[in-house]
Amino acid sequence: MIAVLTAFVLVLALASYFLARHRAQVMSGGQPASLHSRPSYHGAYSLLWVLLAGIGFLILLTVVPNYIMTQTLLSQIGEAAPDTAFIERQLILSDAKALAEGRVASQTGELRQRIAAEYSSISTTWTWVRIVLVVGAAMLAAVTTQRSVSPQYRARNRTEKVVRAILAAMATIAILTTIGIVLSLIFETIGFFAELDWRIDKFLFGTTWSPLSGVHTGNMDPDNVGAIPLFAGTLLITLIAMLVAIPVGLFAAIYLSDFATKKVRGTVKPMLEILAGIPTVVYGFFAAITVAPFLRNTGESIGIPIASESALVAGVVMGIMIIPFISSLSDDVINSVPQALRDGSYGLGATRAETMRQVVLPAALPGIVSAALLGFSRAVGETMIVVMAAGQGANLTANPLEAVTTVTVQIVMLITGDTEADTAAGPAFTLGFTLFCITLLMNMLAQRLVRRYRESYE
Amino acid sequence: MYDAPKHEPTLEQKEIKFAARNVQVYYGDTHAIKDVDVDIEDNTVTAFIGPSGCGKSTFLRCLNRMNDTIDVCRVEGDILLDGEDIYHKDVDPVQLRAKVGMVFQKPNPFPKSIYENVAYGPRIHGMARDKSDLDEIVERSLKRAALWDEAKDRLDAPGTGLSGGQQQRLCIARAVATQPEVLLMDEPCSALDPIATAQVEELIDELREQYSVVIVTHSMQQAARVSQKTAFFHLGYLVEFGETGTIFTNPEDERTESYITGRIG
Repeated sequence: MIAVLTAFVLVLALASYFLARHRAQVMSGGQPASLHSRPSYHGAYSLLWVLLAGIGFLILLTVVPNYIMTQTLLSQIGEAAPDTAFIERQLILSDAKALAEGRVASQTGELRQRIAAEYSSISTTWTWVRIVLVVGAAMLAAVTTQRSVSPQYRARNRTEKVVRAILAAMATIAILTTIGIVLSLIFETIGFFAELDWRIDKFLFGTTWSPLSGVHTGNMDPDNVGAIPLFAGTLLITLIAMLVAIPVGLFAAIYLSDFATKKVRGTVKPMLEILAGIPTVVYGFFAAITVAPFLRNTGESIGIPIASESALVAGVVMGIMIIPFISSLSDDVINSVPQALRDGSYGLGATRAETMRQVVLPAALPGIVSAALLGFSRAVGETMIVVMAAGQGANLTANPLEAVTTVTVQIVMLITGDTEADTAAGPAFTLGFTLFCITLLMNMLAQRLVRRYRESYE
Repeated sequence: MYDAPKHEPTLEQKEIKFAARNVQVYYGDTHAIKDVDVDIEDNTVTAFIGPSGCGKSTFLRCLNRMNDTIDVCRVEGDILLDGEDIYHKDVDPVQLRAKVGMVFQKPNPFPKSIYENVAYGPRIHGMARDKSDLDEIVERSLKRAALWDEAKDRLDAPGTGLSGGQQQRLCIARAVATQPEVLLMDEPCSALDPIATAQVEELIDELREQYSVVIVTHSMQQAARVSQKTAFFHLGYLVEFGETGTIFTNPEDERTESYITGRIG
């Protein structure tokens, strides 16, 4: 039904477009300049209003009735079977809907049959209301806009206004989604801290992470939610990753921007960027299946015990993942140092290396630092590699050869584990929120550095 | 046409710094400089004039091998500095550029302090034995570039914070600090206002006492004011070269006359 309605609105909109355009052309009497707006603007104005009215009502009249129906039917089920749990009532409702639409339900029963009958009667009413209102609104929009077509009518300005409103609405959706996510993080975090009797210090500075160990008694134990081992693990792996990525990425960028010939640069740069296109899950099993056994065997042969899941493996592979990120950002920054500065230095008899070290790199430093910070915040938030290669036990150690765990790994384990979602959500959201704050700070710092750098050269 | 003064010594004969013979420059397939012969004297300001794209900047950049940094550029013929071929394979362009300083069209101080800007060249060439030596070089260079009085109290301030004219004089000080023998200037005043231009021109005249100065300029008045010799380039050819006074008052070639009177260019 909804598909038919949508098709109707689209066809009507197109028809209205061509009609309005044609009418405007006729009115101009062969002299297009006599119109304030070009004929296609009259058409577009009509098209936009028909679409907005038709699709707008369609969405509104689908979402709102659904909500109302669910609420009414759930309360009816609640009256009929007062001692059922909420989740069971939802199950009854979905069975009833299945019965009403002729699909197979998990269970049938007197209550379900009754709710199904109720559901089909209400939804039939709503279907008719929807058809009438959507068709009516679209027709009304079409007729109104057709009547306004005249040589003096400012269709262009009005079309631009409508388009601007649509663009603003899209931007608002993006912003609202972000705000929504952040708010839900904040609320869940507050809820979690309330459960801990506001012992935030236990979370921030405690050294034992085992949040679900006391859950069967119904309470979170503040002594078991110390996040220090997770942040220490994250930091250790990130540091190893940066130790790999910064030198390799930066030197690659220096070579590509100022030392490589055009031909080498033309082949190597795209190849480096292919690295950025490899999905992180591939890096993950590459780390777990290829790098980890290799490192363990190497370690064994020289007498150093390396755990099969270790911070070193995860860090090194994560570093490889970040190399293209740092190299391509640094390459951009180094390239944007004006050629005039290089010429000035060459003109004084400096070699390429002296010019790079003493003129280009200092000028590009803020940009390089910000590239490194962006790489850092990517490393902090990276999940797949550490899930597969770093380990799960919350082990507080500074030894890169042992298994450690990270914030992201613990979030994955909490959410994918057997524990009920409501219980696991608290610690997971809190960890997520803390992680979000860290990356946000890093990104802000990086952006500020980039801006300061831009100011000095434009 | 001009003959090499080597063969006909005059009273004002000065030592020849650069001698170019049959120089050709190609950018890929484009023949940018054709058959250029020129002698550039010591303690003289030589001006290169000509319409845009005539090759005067290209030729200037051949004199310190700055064109080496452009991949597709190829130079043929001989350019001798004090009788030695600067394009000989044993010549290190890096050392050549220390001897032949360059000042660019747009002031391009490094994003460092005024002091560090001037000390840059002496440092990379190891010209100062210690800190006080370096201080002395910096002071001498800034004085020679007529910037000392304005800059002496803020040597640690960034060079990019100076005004345009001051920046250009800083670039001149920077070039002078490596004690070059020749100073190449590629339209040094085109980004400057008239007052700063006057200061830089005055400076160029003073620099002549110690160096051979070659200046590319779009302004014929400037060429007439600061130079003793003028070379007129057109479409890659060196059309006429001689005493500045002669070129501007009594040019031999028709094209020179057209350019100077404003009919081409």
